[in-house]
Amino acid sequence: MSSIIPETPSIKAAVTHINSIDNSKFSRLLTRILQKLHLKERSFSQEEEEKLQSALSLERHTLQLLLETVSFILEQAAYHNVKPASLRQQLENICISPQKAEVFSQMWAADAADLLEKIRLGIFAPMKLDRVSWQLNLQMARSDESRLKAPHAVLNLGLRAEDHSERLQDVFLEFSHQDLLDFYNQMETVQTQLDSLA
Amino acid sequence: MSGANVKMSDTVSLFGGRVPAEVDMLYKHLKNVNRETFTQILRAVVNAIGGQDCCESVREISESGFISEESLNHVMAGLYALLKEALCQPSLKQEVFSDDLRALRFSEELLADLVAVVFGNRQTSMNVSDKHEGPHLAKIEDLKWRVDVAISTSSLSRALQPSILMQMKLSDGCTHQFEVPVAKFQELRYNVSLILKEMNDIEKRSILKIQD
Repeated sequence: MSSIIPETPSIKAAVTHINSIDNSKFSRLLTRILQKLHLKERSFSQEEEEKLQSALSLERHTLQLLLETVSFILEQAAYHNVKPASLRQQLENICISPQKAEVFSQMWAADAADLLEKIRLGIFAPMKLDRVSWQLNLQMARSDESRLKAPHAVLNLGLRAEDHSERLQDVFLEFSHQDLLDFYNQMETVQTQLDSLA
Repeated sequence: MSGANVKMSDTVSLFGGRVPAEVDMLYKHLKNVNRETFTQILRAVVNAIGGQDCCESVREISESGFISEESLNHVMAGLYALLKEALCQPSLKQEVFSDDLRALRFSEELLADLVAVVFGNRQTSMNVSDKHEGPHLAKIEDLKWRVDVAISTSSLSRALQPSILMQMKLSDGCTHQFEVPVAKFQELRYNVSLILKEMNDIEKRSILKIQD
C-alpha cells in the first residue's frame, strides 16, 4: 500500500521529536489529540499548550510542529481507513521508533471506529435540524370561527448553524390534523428511500 | 341613579356592553321594512358573513323599490355587525340572545328569524370570513426533500453516510433549507406519529364531553 504519510523535511524533523518524547507522556498526548480530532478546533488551549511546552521541555514552535504532525498522521489514517497493523508499518517506514509506532497502533485499534463514526456524523450543511419539540392544542374558537374543537399541533424545529453557535434558530409550524397527515405521508416516502439504501 | 336616562340597549350583553351605533338604531330602520324584504336582506347578510359574494342579491333588493337605498345601507350594516358578533361566540345561549334582541327592540317575528339564523341547524362552525383569519403560525406550503449519500469527503475517502436535505417553503414566505441527520429524522417521524395518535384519541373522546 502506498504511503499515506509523505516524507517531507518538516515531517522528518517532527519524527525526531516524536521519538524523543517519554512514552507514557506520549500516549496521553495521543489520546487527547484523538479525542478532539473530529472537531474543528485546536486540540489544546493556549494555557494547555504552555503547560505542555514545559512538561515536554520543548520550544513553542517545536511543540506546534509536533502537534500538527501527529494530527496529520491521524487524519490521514482516518481518511484512508487504515488497519492498525498497516499504520504501524507506515510509521516505522518514516523512522518512528517501534515503541511509539506500537503506541499509535494500539490506540488506533481501540478508538478508530469511534472517531470515524464521529467524522461521518459531522458532514456539513449550512443548517442542521438539532431539536424537535411540539405542543398539541385543542382549538375551541377563533375570532373568525366559532365552535371549533379542532386539534391543532405546533411543531418547533430547532435549527443549528454550521458554526456550532449556541443559539438555535426556531422554526414554528402549525398543523391541522389533515396537514399533519400529509406531512407524515411525505416522511414515510423519505423513509422508504432510506430503507432502500440499507 | 336616574332610571330615565338608562337606554334599553345598556342591558345588551352581546357586544360586551358597548353596542355599536348601527345595531342600536337598527330597529328604527326596520320599522318600514316588510317581512319578505327583511328575509331577503337577512339571507344576503348571512351569505356575506360566510364569505360569499352577494352583490347581485343586494342589487336586486335595492332595485325592487321596497326599501330606500339609505335604509338598506343602515339595515345591512346593522344586521352584519349583529350577526357576525353572535355567530362568533361559541357559548352564546339562545335565551340570552333573545333577551338581547328584545332589549334592542326587535319585534318578535324578526327576533325569531334572527334566532333561527344563529341557532339553526348548523352542525359545524360557520366560517365567518377568510379575510379576518385568527392569529396563526406559519404552515408548510411546500416541502421538498432529497436523500443524499456522502461517498467521500475531505475527512474520509469512504464515508457512505446517508443524510436528508429538506427545503420548506412556509405560508409566511420564508424558505428554510436544512439537513436532517438520519437519527434526528427518526426522532421527527416518531414525534409526528405520536401527535397523530394523540389527535385521534382526542377526537374520539373529548368531543363527547365538551358540550356545545
